[in-house]
Amino acid sequence: MSTTSAAPLVRAEFKKISSTRLWWGLLVGAVVFSMIQAAVNAAFAGMDPGAGQPATPGLDTPEAIRSVYAMSMFSGTYIFALILGITGMTGEYRYQTITSTFLVSPRRSRVVVAKMLAHLVMGAFFGVVALAGTVLAGAVVIGVRGADLGFGAERLWPTMGLAVLAVAIWTLVGIGIGTLIRNQIVAILLAVFVTFLIEPILTFALAAIDLDWLVKWLPTNASSALMAPGNTLLDYLDWWVGGLVLLGYGLLLAGLGIALSVRRDVS
Amino acid sequence: MTREGLRIDVVGLTKMFGAFKAVDDLSFSVQPGVVTGFLGPNGAGKTTTLRCLLGLLAPTAGSATIGGHRYRDLPDPIGTVGAALEASSFHPGRTARAHLEVMALGAGIDPRRAGEMLAQVGLTEVADKRVGGYSLGMRQRLGLAAALLGDPPVLILDEPANGLDPAGIAWLREFLRALAREGRTVLISSHVLSEVQRTVDEVVVLARGRLVRQGRLADLDSGPRDVLVRTPEPAKLRDALAAASLTVTEDGSGRLRVGGGTTERVGHAAYVAGVELHELVAEASHLERTFLELTEGDRTP
Repeated sequence: MSTTSAAPLVRAEFKKISSTRLWWGLLVGAVVFSMIQAAVNAAFAGMDPGAGQPATPGLDTPEAIRSVYAMSMFSGTYIFALILGITGMTGEYRYQTITSTFLVSPRRSRVVVAKMLAHLVMGAFFGVVALAGTVLAGAVVIGVRGADLGFGAERLWPTMGLAVLAVAIWTLVGIGIGTLIRNQIVAILLAVFVTFLIEPILTFALAAIDLDWLVKWLPTNASSALMAPGNTLLDYLDWWVGGLVLLGYGLLLAGLGIALSVRRDVS
Repeated sequence: MTREGLRIDVVGLTKMFGAFKAVDDLSFSVQPGVVTGFLGPNGAGKTTTLRCLLGLLAPTAGSATIGGHRYRDLPDPIGTVGAALEASSFHPGRTARAHLEVMALGAGIDPRRAGEMLAQVGLTEVADKRVGGYSLGMRQRLGLAAALLGDPPVLILDEPANGLDPAGIAWLREFLRALAREGRTVLISSHVLSEVQRTVDEVVVLARGRLVRQGRLADLDSGPRDVLVRTPEPAKLRDALAAASLTVTEDGSGRLRVGGGTTERVGHAAYVAGVELHELVAEASHLERTFLELTEGDRTP
């Protein structure tokens, strides 16, 4: 019976995702963006961007290979994963299916936990599929440029795994945002706005007022840290700390959501 | 088959939305084995009461319980209470079958039961079509299928007849009466008395968030009825009826309306006075009028 185990609710969440078409569109978007990113990264690796900027690492370096195969996947996919998570929660309010969801499970925080678990798995699935895309697109472009495909590059496979993990955690962050902000449009716009505008500005502003130490705790930088263990160029957190910080953002938002929003009247 | 129903108890329920009192110190109970109509005009607080009962709204004061438990404390919620609220709460891109399968999976019910329920409400042919293309009547049927999914002893349906055609209402009536005969508790709300008049046994009448009347439907209609009488000698009959201390008014259609008596008394008075009668009837039931009178005023029971 459903009273003790979270498994039935998680199964229900998978069925909710798979029985509408949104996830398909988001997955296609993630794969296409990731492949473009990988192709561009592979095409321009090692080239001098001009204007006195230093050249990016060449295709003979592990950094470049990791960037083409793993980082491209993350930067092409995480926003779609975030939206998948947000809509996983806000869609219930938008279409009022939250009524039957809470009738099936009147203990509302369990619903949020089940959503997090299901979406974490979906996010990882997105990451793996998009990774297949970046490997394909990246390998084609690298092959055309006549360089070694670099599948044996140092720390490539662990980095890929961490990139998948990072995407999965961003999906969970999406659930957190959706739990706190029930309105779908507002939640998505706010998330994109914060990620693409506020965070970069904040990064710049904090650095300008000598609060650099704060910068690495911002969500996007935390996820970069997760994927770039031993990165010495930038002052990132340890990779595992970065992962925990990102997870913490998701859990914090969801916790706030449970406390402030989910318990509210549903009418 | 019998399915022992549970009592629904609403005790001193009050629900405020800001400064607006949607439900005001409401108390009533609903018994198993009969169909109970939860009646009142739009905005009377019916849906708010049902949502409090189902744990979707938090009551401001008082309680609403099913078999003595709050909804959220039920160990097997949809196996205890089947509820259908407004017919719009489906994802338009999801099929009817998938909607029921989602609920079944979450409640640990065999998802194959989804197909059985859809057959029971007559939606088999459209089971794999997206709900976005459904008519209101089809959504009502899907809501009913969802309510029945857990084979619950208690059914709570908000305006289930809304959007159904007359054939659908007749079907719903038989369906609900059969469920009540099995011993289940069936509570249905409506703002149109005539929709449920032949379905319900008991009524709870609500107006402006307050209880107006609770009892058997038949008792709503138990007030004294006027007698209508037609005669070629109205003046003579008036005198005779006045002598029998009955009140007489002009009906407007050539008939006299007699208050305070039965057809027997009126007929006897006419016979004694030797007045010829062409028509003598008790006024037809005016249940709907009684309902309107009850719900128009702000009366207390």
